[in-house]
Amino acid sequence: MIENSLLAAVPRKAYRRLIAGLEPVTLNFGDVLYEPGETIRHVYFPGASLVSLLTLADGHLALEVGLIGREGMVGVPLVLGHSVSLVRALVQGEGTALRMASASFLKEFRRSPPLQRELYLYTHALMAQISQTAACNRFHVVQRRLARWLLMTHDRVKSDRFRMTQEFLGHMLGVRRVGVTKAAQALQKRNLIGYSRGTITILDRKGLETAACECYEVVKDMHDGA
Amino acid sequence: MLALHSPKQNYLLAALPDADYERLLPDLERVPLELGLALYESGSQQVYVYFPVASIVSLLYVMRDGPSAEIAVVGNEGVVGVALFMGGESTPSRAVVQSAGHAYRLKGSHLRTEFERGGPLQYLLLRYTQSLITQMAQTAVCNRHHAVEQQLCRWLLLSLDRLPSNELTMTQALIANMLGVRREGVTEAAGKLQAEGLIHYSRGKITVLDRPKLEARVCECYAVVKRESDRLFAGKTFAADRQL
Repeated sequence: MIENSLLAAVPRKAYRRLIAGLEPVTLNFGDVLYEPGETIRHVYFPGASLVSLLTLADGHLALEVGLIGREGMVGVPLVLGHSVSLVRALVQGEGTALRMASASFLKEFRRSPPLQRELYLYTHALMAQISQTAACNRFHVVQRRLARWLLMTHDRVKSDRFRMTQEFLGHMLGVRRVGVTKAAQALQKRNLIGYSRGTITILDRKGLETAACECYEVVKDMHDGA
Repeated sequence: MLALHSPKQNYLLAALPDADYERLLPDLERVPLELGLALYESGSQQVYVYFPVASIVSLLYVMRDGPSAEIAVVGNEGVVGVALFMGGESTPSRAVVQSAGHAYRLKGSHLRTEFERGGPLQYLLLRYTQSLITQMAQTAVCNRHHAVEQQLCRWLLLSLDRLPSNELTMTQALIANMLGVRREGVTEAAGKLQAEGLIHYSRGKITVLDRPKLEARVCECYAVVKRESDRLFAGKTFAADRQL
């Protein structure tokens, strides 16, 4: 079974050529795949793993602008003819991925129109996610954004429990740690999540969906439609 | 010399090799872009792509519950309608003319045919898409972390870069709408910049008086976006670049 749905959508012939260059790897929590300004050496197709794209401001203030799991690929700049990453790609969900050296990927990409179409479509969905994030950050309160973020993570890791520190969540949501603590406590009080020792457990998914801002549904529809 | 009205006033079109440019030329149609005109509505099917010249188009993300925020600006360095060649059916954003001028429009079906040839046009459009993504991501982080005054400076500079003069036709209410902040916030920030002699505004016109000071005041987000868009046109050596 092919875990990554982008790869699963590639026609068999193109996939067979790709597979030769794909190498199974395990991505660990906190691994940095790219730093801003770094050359992209590999692309990654997450299976059970989850990768956050973070934009930095003033060298330290971060904000998650994209979240990539089994529906996508890390390394989209290559698709757009750019060999350098402009964001930090940080592993936030441990798990499997298939990776491929950039040169081999580009070779296959250029000779396979179906692969190009898949990846252009995916890039467009990722852009929708980025613009949504920009607007969501502007208008929605931390608690609703946290709920959205937990749902997006839940969809991709397909497990009810995942590791997460409040500091990390602060970076994702672009708020101070106290803000995260307050929001997480509020969700916990409503029995939607459990939170202890850096592990979050989803207790009531339906309830969390009600607590999240509209942005969750919007981005989900985009990806499901793509 | 460039003709008074030429599609080559748009940098993307100007960067095309002659053969590619001439193939597009008969299908490029010059259209006026009036202030406030919506080129696309959020979620709607798009028919044309627009290459702006001396005009600015804002891409606004519209929330289901009403408010909107600008996620990118497109001027003579770009194209409006990325969804048409990336293959997405529609975009979740609105495209609204923020500074009146003209654009050259091209039927989406024509553009797709050209795009699929895989030549210089495809290369340029994809590179432009990358710089647009950078702008969107930087706008997101700027919205989150920077003061309204800095955001206003960024917005003014990005707009100026896309226009031939140092004057913008713009009301504070519109700016507030773009930045997704309350009008009072914009009034306060603009008042401060005016008191310090950086800008002058009256009756819906903003004139930038001291660009270097504005650049000293702006957050880094401006430089990040500008660098990416400059890089796009830096070396027009397509073949060399495409080898990576």
